Amino acid sequence: MTALHNPPIKIGVLFSSSGLTAPIEQSQQRATILAAEEINAAGGINGRQLELIFRDPASIPSRYATMIEQLIVEEQVRVVVGCYMSSTRKAVIPVVERHNALLLYPTFYEGFEYSRNVIYTGATPNQNSVPLASYMLSNFGSRVFMVGSDYVYPYESNRIMSDLVFEQGGEKLGEVYIPLDAGWESYLNVARKIAALRPDFIFSTVVGTGISHLYRAFAEVGMNPYETPIASLSTSETEVAAMGADIGEGHITAATYFQSIDSPLNRKVIANYQRRFGETVQTDTCWEAAYFQMHLLASAMSIAGSDDPNALLNTLPGLEIDAPQGRVRIDEHNHHTYLHPRIGRLNSRGQFDIVSESAGWTPAAPFQISHTLIDADTVSGTAEGGARE
Amino acid sequence: MTKGSSRTSQALKDIRSLKVVAIHPDDQDGEELRGQLRRIGCEVQMVWPSLDALPEGTDVVFLAVRPETLSIQFPWLEEKGTPPVIPVVSYENPIVIEAVLQLNPYCLVPSPVRSFGLLTAIAISLYQHKSKRTLEHYVGRLEDKLADQRKIQQAKTILMETRKLSEQDAYDLLRAQAMAKRQPIEVMAQAIIQAHAVLDF
Repeated sequence: MTALHNPPIKIGVLFSSSGLTAPIEQSQQRATILAAEEINAAGGINGRQLELIFRDPASIPSRYATMIEQLIVEEQVRVVVGCYMSSTRKAVIPVVERHNALLLYPTFYEGFEYSRNVIYTGATPNQNSVPLASYMLSNFGSRVFMVGSDYVYPYESNRIMSDLVFEQGGEKLGEVYIPLDAGWESYLNVARKIAALRPDFIFSTVVGTGISHLYRAFAEVGMNPYETPIASLSTSETEVAAMGADIGEGHITAATYFQSIDSPLNRKVIANYQRRFGETVQTDTCWEAAYFQMHLLASAMSIAGSDDPNALLNTLPGLEIDAPQGRVRIDEHNHHTYLHPRIGRLNSRGQFDIVSESAGWTPAAPFQISHTLIDADTVSGTAEGGARE
Repeated sequence: MTKGSSRTSQALKDIRSLKVVAIHPDDQDGEELRGQLRRIGCEVQMVWPSLDALPEGTDVVFLAVRPETLSIQFPWLEEKGTPPVIPVVSYENPIVIEAVLQLNPYCLVPSPVRSFGLLTAIAISLYQHKSKRTLEHYVGRLEDKLADQRKIQQAKTILMETRKLSEQDAYDLLRAQAMAKRQPIEVMAQAIIQAHAVLDF
C-alpha cells in the first residue's frame, strides 16, 4: 500500500523548550521522540506511522491551553502527550474534555484529580512522598526543614510530609516557598537559614531551574550531604547533569525510575537513546514515564485499531507493559499507573545508587488524604500483581 | 411542594437585581462567570486578586480559590453581615478544600465554569444565608431569654433566703415590684441581685 492509503497517525506533543521547566520537559520530549521512532521502526500502528506535531508553550499555563486547542482543532490531533506543572495540566483539561481528546500526562504530581480524558503515568504521593518520608525518618531523624517552589505540588507534598513527620513525633523546623522565578540570592538565604537550624534532613520540592541554585547554595554554606542530605521528589539525573555531579553527590531522591536501574530493558533503551541523542544525554523519572506511555499508547492503538479517544479509553485502562522501571499497569478505575517506588542516593558520577526499592509495583492512590509510613527497607508492601486497594 | 403554582418566591425574583462581586482573574472561567451573571441580570463587579473592602450593598461574592492565592487575606470575611461567598475551585486537594471550608460556603462552583448551575448556586446561597441569619437571630433571642431566666431564678433565691418566702411568694413579690415600677421582670431581678451584692459583701 502507498502512503496515501496509510496516512500517519498524528500525535500532539506539548512540552516547553523555553521557560523555567524547559530542561525537564525537553527530556520528556526526547523520550517521546525516541519511543515514536522505535514504534515506527517496528512497523508503526497496523502499518501506519506515528507523526509527532510539536508545540512550545514556553512554561506558561495559558499557552498550554491555547496550543492544545490548536493541535486539536487545526491539526486534527486526537491524542496529545505532555504537560509538566499541575497548573499547565489544569489549564488543558477543560479543552481536552470539551473536544473529547486524550491527554497522556507523564509527570508525578500531587493527586486529587481524575479526568475521563486523561491518563496519568507519573507517580502520586503514595508512590514517592510516602516512601521518601519513610526512608528519611527511619534513617536520618525527624527534625525536618521543608523548601519548595511556590505552587501547588510543594504545598500538597509538604502537607503529606508534615503529617508523617508529626506522626513520628518529629519537628518541622521551617517551611519555605520560593517563587518559581527567584534568583540565586533567595536560595542562598534559605541555605543560610538551614545551616543555622541544623535539621536532620531537608525536604525539597523545588522544581525547574531553582534546583541547581538550591544544591549549589547548600554547598556554598558548607553543609555536608552525608550528614544532612536534601531529600527530593523532583531532583533527577537531568537536573544533576545541569548543576554538576559534585554538587549533587550524597543527596537523596525518591522516584519510580532511575537511570541506574540494572535491567536488560533499561540498558537497551538507554543505549538506543544515547545513540540517537548523544552520549552525554541523561534519562530521568519524567523521561521514563514519557517513554513508556508512548509504548502503552501504541499498544492501545494497535488493539483499538485507531486513535479515537473513545476506543483508546476502552483499551488503556487495565493495560500492562514492560517499562524500563519494571512492569506497569494503568488502573481501570482512576486512570493512574501502578509504578515501582525507589529511593536513590546520588554518587560522584551524577547517578543514583538505589538504596531501597519496592518488591513489586504499587498501585496509585490519587485520592488518599491521610498516609501512613511504610517499612523503610522495602518501600512498598504490594507484591507484583498483588491485591488492589 | 405545590405544582403548577404561578407564584414565584420573592427571593428568586430578587436575583435579577443582585449586586455581585466576583474576585476572579479575567481568564476563560472569569469570562464565563461574568457572562452568565450578566445574562442572569446581576450587576457584576470583577476584581483580582485582592479586595480590602466589599462595595456597599454587595449581595453575593464569587471567590476564586487558587493554590497561588491561598495566602491572600480578605478582612471583610470576618465582619458581621458579610454576604454569602461562593468559591470557584479548580483544585480538589486537601489544602484547597481547607481553604474553601474557611469561607463557610453553602455550595461551590467547580472549574471549568459553565453557565449551567450558577443560578441555582446563587439561589441556594441566598436562601441558606437567610435561613442561617434567621436561625442566628433566634438563637440570640433564646440566649437572652435564658439569661433572663437565670437572673429571675437568682433574684427569687435571694428573696426566699432574706425574707423567708416560699418560691411562689418570692416570684409574686418580684412580679408585683416589677409591675409597680413599670419594669420588665428581668430588670427588677437584676436590681435585686445588684442590691444584694452591695449589701452582702
